[in-house]
Amino acid sequence: MTAVRTGNTQAKRDRRNGRNAGRGRAEAVTMVVAGVVAFPLFWMVLTAIKPEDEVLSADPKPWTLRPTFDSFVRALTVQNFGRYFLNSVIVALAVVLLSMLVAFLAAAALTRFRFRGRTTMLIMLLVVQMVPVEALTVPLFFLMRSVGQSVPAFGLNHLGSLVLVHLAFSLPFAIWMLRGFVAAVPKELEEAATLDGASRFRFLWRVLFPLVAPGLVATSVLSFIHAWNDFLFAKTFIISAAENQTLPLALQVFVRPDQNDWGAIMAGATLMTIPVLVFFVFVQRRLVSGLAGSVKG
Amino acid sequence: MSTATRRARARSGEGRTALAYLAPALLVLGALLAYPVYQLVVISFYDYGQEQVSGGAPLEFLGLGNYTTLFSGSRFWAVLAQTVGFAAVCVAGTLLAGAALAVLATRVRPWARTCLFLAALGAWATPAVAGSTVWLFLFDANLGLVNNVLGLDGFSWTYGKWTAFGLVAAEVVWCSFPFAMITLYAGIKAIPGEVLEAAALDGASTRRIATSVLLPLLRPVLAVVTIQSVIWDFKVFTQIYVMTNGGGIAGRNLTLNVYAYQQAFAASEYGLGAAIGVVTTLVLLAITVVYLRALRRSGEEL
Amino acid sequence: MRKRWLAGALPVVSLVVATACAPVQSGPAQSSGDETTGQVRVWLFDEVNRAPKEKVVADAVAEFQGKHPGVTVDVQYIQVATRAERFKAAFSDPASAPDVAEFGNTDLSGFVAAGGLADISNPALNWADVHDMLPAALDATKVDTKVYAIPWYIGVRALYFRTDVFTELGVQPPSTLDEIAPLARRIRAAHPDLLGISVGGKYTYGALPFVWGEGGEIATSLNGKFSAAIDSPQARAGVARYTELLRDDICPPAQCAGNGGDASVEAFRAGKAAMTIGGDFNRKSVEASSVKGKYAVVPLPGKAAGTIAPAFGGGNLLGLLAGTKHRTLAFEFVQLLAGKQYQRKMFDAMGNLPTYQGLQRELAESEPALQPFTATLASGARFVPNTPAWAKIDSQAVIPTMLQEIASGAKDVDTATKSAADAMNAAFGS
Repeated sequence: MTAVRTGNTQAKRDRRNGRNAGRGRAEAVTMVVAGVVAFPLFWMVLTAIKPEDEVLSADPKPWTLRPTFDSFVRALTVQNFGRYFLNSVIVALAVVLLSMLVAFLAAAALTRFRFRGRTTMLIMLLVVQMVPVEALTVPLFFLMRSVGQSVPAFGLNHLGSLVLVHLAFSLPFAIWMLRGFVAAVPKELEEAATLDGASRFRFLWRVLFPLVAPGLVATSVLSFIHAWNDFLFAKTFIISAAENQTLPLALQVFVRPDQNDWGAIMAGATLMTIPVLVFFVFVQRRLVSGLAGSVKG
Repeated sequence: MSTATRRARARSGEGRTALAYLAPALLVLGALLAYPVYQLVVISFYDYGQEQVSGGAPLEFLGLGNYTTLFSGSRFWAVLAQTVGFAAVCVAGTLLAGAALAVLATRVRPWARTCLFLAALGAWATPAVAGSTVWLFLFDANLGLVNNVLGLDGFSWTYGKWTAFGLVAAEVVWCSFPFAMITLYAGIKAIPGEVLEAAALDGASTRRIATSVLLPLLRPVLAVVTIQSVIWDFKVFTQIYVMTNGGGIAGRNLTLNVYAYQQAFAASEYGLGAAIGVVTTLVLLAITVVYLRALRRSGEEL
Repeated sequence: MRKRWLAGALPVVSLVVATACAPVQSGPAQSSGDETTGQVRVWLFDEVNRAPKEKVVADAVAEFQGKHPGVTVDVQYIQVATRAERFKAAFSDPASAPDVAEFGNTDLSGFVAAGGLADISNPALNWADVHDMLPAALDATKVDTKVYAIPWYIGVRALYFRTDVFTELGVQPPSTLDEIAPLARRIRAAHPDLLGISVGGKYTYGALPFVWGEGGEIATSLNGKFSAAIDSPQARAGVARYTELLRDDICPPAQCAGNGGDASVEAFRAGKAAMTIGGDFNRKSVEASSVKGKYAVVPLPGKAAGTIAPAFGGGNLLGLLAGTKHRTLAFEFVQLLAGKQYQRKMFDAMGNLPTYQGLQRELAESEPALQPFTATLASGARFVPNTPAWAKIDSQAVIPTMLQEIASGAKDVDTATKSAADAMNAAFGS
């Protein structure tokens, strides 16, 4: 907030009165924008709970008087929905944990140390984000096939292969973002810790890690989304093991180019969005300060 | 021991520690990103179709053959131009919406801001497949709410080249402005209130404060947001793929990334698809370098 | 400095790349094993209304497992739209591939060329039932006299029309190909809310009868070498006849250009079209829609009155994947599913037309609704060029692109057919 901390109370009050009218207008605009932005989501949930004849009506109403969970039932009874959900959670959590650990170490190295090749590494982190993920599917497919020949759990048809690729794809951005958080921790703290005789390692875990934790949480959201939303790799890597499929593929069952079951699609989309949204809302504050931290660095 | 040698030793120790910290990241990135990228480049030099992949036919080295095929067709240039134009519109839309709403968010009380942020987070959190589908449904020719409200019954938004691009761009802006907005908002909040107060006390107009105080201070944040938006919007895949059903009528809504995917996976021309992927990366790289240069010239560091 | 270094390094790098490292190849599929226990994995197509199919297949699985103790059958339903990618992946990693799969007859030659399917000539030709099947259906399973699959059902298309609308306007179903457009235009003029005929820019198998009906060909073959004929005068006439339907006064391109077969039929099911071209496999779903009791089916008429336009002889096959470790078991399961008993059950469940001549005759007598389809089949169904290149032409969407270019006005018939022919020749040539 841009509130004034010092100064004449009278002047402050005047200014506040003048500001109130403008603020009212701004708030009205804000609410309209928020409504527009949220509208597709509202429509998604609404369509999911509408009965089928209302979904297919040529005269759609922005409400329903006959809410039903039929579409959710159709979405949930699709083969192994629970299993798919669990698989998605496993992959996303594994990616989040691993990428946070690896990215934290890398970000610490890139921010706290000066060494040759540091700038090159930073630039490379940007550059690798420019390679279209879709184009890498073919080389990664063969790489995972070879991996699978020695470590089956990380090969094709297994969840491990998905964890590995998403780890790789979420790392550059995670490091890039975490760098800002690490940089925001005052140098003096490190010097103080060193003077206290703490080893670098101790400093890293006992001092830096807790301080950067909010940033880690914020960054983890993006890694989570990355792994959670993917359907390209799930589709390509999990060839015949139905027990290892993930959620976006369950949704695909209803996405037909010709005969869409809109109700079930929206129900599936709702179910898929909820975990991310919960995660998001949960870390919202940290995300804001986190993004601020990342851009300061 | 002289200070210089001590410092040198400390420095080499630093290097070693830094390397140790970096090792896991380097391992992952090297094996799972750098190596596949290298393979991608290699594949782009070969005639690599399904028969070659499954070992049914010998590999044929084409050198730059795939690239010449690509550059000599008019298709590629049309798609390239479309991609650049589409990405430019998306980036501009994202930045404008993000910046305007970030400023707006600083001017309202927390409850309104929370509403805005929740809505934005919702848009951001929606998986691309789900978001695209919802938008498609909203704009459906017969069942969509938009046509119903506008009285355009039966009008197909996805048929015309420009309406289709416009619709996809709107969806892309919808799901990518939250990142810009929240980052910029955080950037504005990080500016000490005293700076703005001082400017206001000096009698500077809102516009002046915006252009000569806020903007310079926000430039690093803007740079990060712009670069990320360029990277993301240039590579938009899911939205185009889902909303225009794989590239529109007779492929007139293709962008480079979807074109590469179609060549590689639909037509099994992995070599050609890889070549398009390489070109996409290089174009994106070129754009970013030009942008960074411009930034550096105006006095900013990465 | 650095730039000069880079410039020097580039050729070296590309040389190293060229000589030392090549992209990965799978190597020839390993010789298939013949284990007599374990799990047989099966891929079948997912379908709009899958439950009845699933039930029949579950019966077959139960029967099979009862007969073979120690054997389990795992059935997965894969999506038709993305099947090409699934199969490519399976061919590239035989260890993860299933044993048995359902696929379309147009997929076959491409799959064989990719080395994905097992040669089953020996067991197949020794199976007596196979010789009761329609010769044309059986031919579609062969590449160079070797058999790679067993026909499971046949898909032919015919003309669906709305009896209520036709009666109201006092019109008859078209008797020649040329009559379709004027009739459709007239209906739409009278009923602007109806499509004159629901067809689509991606509906290859709806368009092909027009090409064949006008005496055209997709491609001709001379000594096993194919060359495109889609730009011949006859084929162009057929393409023009078909794309004439994709106009605002019949089937507006904004609505129809993006449609494939299912979407075309879907508009008819929704009561938004006076006619459409639909398959025997669509019959059950049309029967379950809002136009039930208000429609009839006739064969798509040919060039001359009283003739039938050659239909595309579609159909689905069951085959063994090259890497299967359960050769005998897998083939026995195929025999069970494609046998007379289960083809009959699939007909009852889904409406799929069986591949056995005797069974077909029997069903046509008891179910008059099948008559237009069997008549179409009897007058001679046609097929796409039987070459691996077709898989490529199909996946590059050469024909849909051509139809869409004409429908959207981007190109005229001559230019569009010419570029389609060029694209096809490029595929045939490679």
